[in-house]
Amino acid sequence: MRTLLIFSAATIAALVLQTTVWHWLPLGGAIPDLLLILCVYLGLHQHTVGGALGAFFLGYAQDSFSGGAVGLNAFAMSLVFALVYLTSRRLWVDNAISKVVLVFLASVIKTMVVVGLIAIFLSTAGIWSTLARHLVIEAAVAAALSPPVFAMLASTRHITEAEDEA
Amino acid sequence: MLEFVRRNRIILTSGFLLLFSLLLVSTSVRAPRRRDPLTALLLEAMRPLQVGVSDAGSALTAVWNNYVELVGVRAENEALRARARELEQHANRLGEIEESNQHLKELLGFRSTLDGQTVNAQISGRDPGALFQSLTIDKGERDGVRKGFAVLSPDGVVGQVVATSAHAARVLLVTDHNSGVDAVVQRSRARGIVAGALADGCVMKYLQRGEDVAVGDRVTTSGLDGIFPKGVLIGEVTKVSRNHRGLLQLAEVRPSASLERLEDVLVVAPGARVNEPANGDS
Repeated sequence: MRTLLIFSAATIAALVLQTTVWHWLPLGGAIPDLLLILCVYLGLHQHTVGGALGAFFLGYAQDSFSGGAVGLNAFAMSLVFALVYLTSRRLWVDNAISKVVLVFLASVIKTMVVVGLIAIFLSTAGIWSTLARHLVIEAAVAAALSPPVFAMLASTRHITEAEDEA
Repeated sequence: MLEFVRRNRIILTSGFLLLFSLLLVSTSVRAPRRRDPLTALLLEAMRPLQVGVSDAGSALTAVWNNYVELVGVRAENEALRARARELEQHANRLGEIEESNQHLKELLGFRSTLDGQTVNAQISGRDPGALFQSLTIDKGERDGVRKGFAVLSPDGVVGQVVATSAHAARVLLVTDHNSGVDAVVQRSRARGIVAGALADGCVMKYLQRGEDVAVGDRVTTSGLDGIFPKGVLIGEVTKVSRNHRGLLQLAEVRPSASLERLEDVLVVAPGARVNEPANGDS
């Protein structure tokens, strides 16, 4: 329950930042994806069915405020969660640098997956130039933001671990 | 079997959620007007936070701009600086009020040119991703806003309402690649569909190759889509491309409304009419 509350609060904060504050920053239209960082954190530390559902809901919440069809980001987030989960089971990704690299790659994969779905289901007008402009910068900013976000989430881990033990 | 499911429950759940997401996308694409109660709930729950952060951000921006302007004033002018700061803040506040007043006057003037149900709204949030162009407004179903309503500004077409909750709504901008507006070239009356091209503005598609379209032509709504009133300015043609063998030509259109700087918009119900040429249609 505590884990759910912490992640709900983090999701709301991330959504508010992504729909308001990020648009005021001079990033040339790129929007750092905090929800993706939360998804990668779930893939690294929440190896439960709840983690998978949480990743799906992060994408669904993003879809609710996005111009695209509902399900695009939910699919991409679920895929990112599964890939991060499988990676973390096979590779040691517990130091800061490997997590930053993981967030960078996750951002690139997520964007490519969303673009792929758009190409299949919707219109692609203007999408390639936007992709070229934002793919790397968004991934780089998300990767740069991941250490403080991970640190904040890690600081709440003792609360969630106490719950797990109980 | 049970042991297999138990050991792989996370991957199986993820697989199920991936399939479910695809089903959601497919349903959403096939029935874009279907009401999604969870989306409406999220829009409604986030509205006060978005409005609060937007307002706080505007206030902080004003304070920050004020601070930046004052950096560099010498120490011996401390008293004058304090006074200047005070006056600057005052002027800034007045400027903000004047600016807001000007926007509202323009909106009111524009509103009076429309015959039909209209609702004034403020922008409370923008799209959380760069691949789509949408924004959230602070008016919803309780204020009479419904899915499919047109969203306009005094400068021209902004977009269309695609999701609503009781007190908020999401607007798909005319520059989004999923957007389409039935349009005519004002000078030659050539007809086509203006679709979004994200950061590149818009493109006017399905223009017959023989139609007279030139750079600088103004593009307005035709009113034939039953959503946008006839004669509202969409933008100006910036480039015309003619494929050598094709039957059609394509025109790039720069939207007339400053979509990045919008603060207030007018939501218009289908069936509204422009009483007089609001922004240039003859």
